[in-house]
Amino acid sequence: MALNARTRVPLLSLSGITKRFNAVEALVDVDFEVNAHEVVALVGDNAAGKSTLAKIIAGVLSPDAGLMEIDGEAVSIANPSAAHALGIATVFQDLALCENLDVTSNIFLGRELRAKLAIDDSRMENVARGILRDLTSRIPSVRTPVSTLSGGQRQSVAIARTLVGSPRIVVLDEPTSALSVAHTAEVLTYIERLRDLGLGVVLISHNMNDVRAVSDRIEVLRHGRNNGSFSADAVTHEEILGAITGASVTAAHARALAI
Amino acid sequence: MTERAAASGSLSSLREANRALVVETVRRYGGLTQVELAAATGLSTATVSTLVRELLAAGVVETTTTTRSGRRAQLVTLAKRVGLAIGVQIGHRHMRVVLSDFGYDVVAEQSLPLPPDHRVDTCLDRAALLAVDMLERVGSALDDVVAIGVGVPAPVDASTGMVSVRGIMRGWDEVHLGHVLHKRLGRPVFVDNDANLGALAESMLGAAKEYRDSIFVRASHGVGAGIVIAGRVHRGFAGTAGEIGHVQVDPAGDICRCGSRGCLDTIVGAQALIEPLRANLGSVALRDVIQLAVDGDPGCQQVIADAGAQIGAVVAGLGMAVNPQCIVVGGELAETGEVLLGPLRDAVRRRVLLNQIAPLEVVPAELGQRAEVLGAVLLAIQSSDFGGGGAG
Repeated sequence: MALNARTRVPLLSLSGITKRFNAVEALVDVDFEVNAHEVVALVGDNAAGKSTLAKIIAGVLSPDAGLMEIDGEAVSIANPSAAHALGIATVFQDLALCENLDVTSNIFLGRELRAKLAIDDSRMENVARGILRDLTSRIPSVRTPVSTLSGGQRQSVAIARTLVGSPRIVVLDEPTSALSVAHTAEVLTYIERLRDLGLGVVLISHNMNDVRAVSDRIEVLRHGRNNGSFSADAVTHEEILGAITGASVTAAHARALAI
Repeated sequence: MTERAAASGSLSSLREANRALVVETVRRYGGLTQVELAAATGLSTATVSTLVRELLAAGVVETTTTTRSGRRAQLVTLAKRVGLAIGVQIGHRHMRVVLSDFGYDVVAEQSLPLPPDHRVDTCLDRAALLAVDMLERVGSALDDVVAIGVGVPAPVDASTGMVSVRGIMRGWDEVHLGHVLHKRLGRPVFVDNDANLGALAESMLGAAKEYRDSIFVRASHGVGAGIVIAGRVHRGFAGTAGEIGHVQVDPAGDICRCGSRGCLDTIVGAQALIEPLRANLGSVALRDVIQLAVDGDPGCQQVIADAGAQIGAVVAGLGMAVNPQCIVVGGELAETGEVLLGPLRDAVRRRVLLNQIAPLEVVPAELGQRAEVLGAVLLAIQSSDFGGGGAG
């Protein structure tokens, strides 16, 4: 798998994305791209537009303006199924698990494996077990109802869902915010593994330690606009904070605000 | 490593000394049958049997039935309830925490990616939290932990547990690492350089376990070495023995973190390896370079092979000084196998005085990426106050 930075086409490219909710400018003229074998962190204050951008990528929302391309070809992501078909997997902050169902059912929700016409329970359980083992998850049984699991275990189930269907892009919205250090460690290790496998990972997080631990590039949003793009190995914690809080204003942002 | 002073000649003190010897030997090997114990300690089987019975009654060891060459034998191990040890290895971009019992069986482990230039307070905080989390996971508590060993990628002054050379780990210079963790966890903490710990682990459990004198080379984001002489790690007066990353190899070179010019680290450290590849590959991390080299990328292989030759030249000097029986190579760069090892071995063999007694083996680490953290566990176990009837 080629890592040559010069000639590769981004896995996902968003240009000039704008989204308004009545008077609220959630996103204004935002550019964003993710390459294969890369972790891009999307950071910013509350209401900076991070979750809106994630929802647009996931097909939950449609932009009012702007271009979206996958592998250089223009696409329109009308709904979450279309996003999934394009190889985009998303884990939102609320995890979106079904409390009344068990681990296996949640992992395969909407994409159940079938043997002829009937649902193939045993194959799904085997696959679920394998995925959870790969994630070094400590869930005792794949038949456990999700409602009885701890926060970190539920996170593992939500992440396990992303592995069904061989995605090429994984979007994680605040994957470590409610977790213990041990679970954070597992999620971060998992993100590293996804990257090493060649996927493009979008990481939305407010935890600068976690972001700088696994990201290649850090994109800052401020009030719905791009406010900085940094290479993770060179940037300091303080520079990122400056971009998030507006202590340092990029040229593009200054133009937009007519400073 | 604490030495138990030999008590003077009375019978009870002799028994005391023998009991301590049995415990020490069982600890060293993890588990031995009584016959093996007798052979290893030089005591008679009758004495061993009596001592084991006493230690069993005291709850210090436990015995299980096992077989040796088809015969039933009693395997003696340290009682698990004697304790767990925690090993922490703080690397440049990763931290590893391991829970181990006294038989060196890893009971739980966890690895956490770290940001570049990670802060000392956050790092130690997370290490403590991880340790406690892992104890819960195995159903134990801090009370079950006998001691904690910590490895850092910098030279350490063993008596204070502080980094002994300024500038190598920015922000970590003035901190009493052992003291901070001790306050958090309430158990004894022992700190050492990660290459020293790797040397300890490989010499007791890994590729150098048949040898008395060995060198362990850790080729990672920086380069370091640990020296084992007569089975014990040689740290030197201020703990800087083996810091080959700071041997000068280029008098006109770049300024190193330590303040000197042209250190080995400035030409084989992570940044120096990644920089020449930037034109071809863009911005990559060290582990990408290693993976690509393993996959056969010629540019990455070239960079690592050259690093191997340069490291080998310096290690050859260390080999001349120490005259070890073998050199064990570990650290992330060693994952490329012969790509690194071949040129390293050639450089060493070319410059080290050949002798009639034994060839100098240059071998890969057996314990892989765990060598340092297992060394931390060994440090904890060995440094903890233990001996027949002694308090924890």
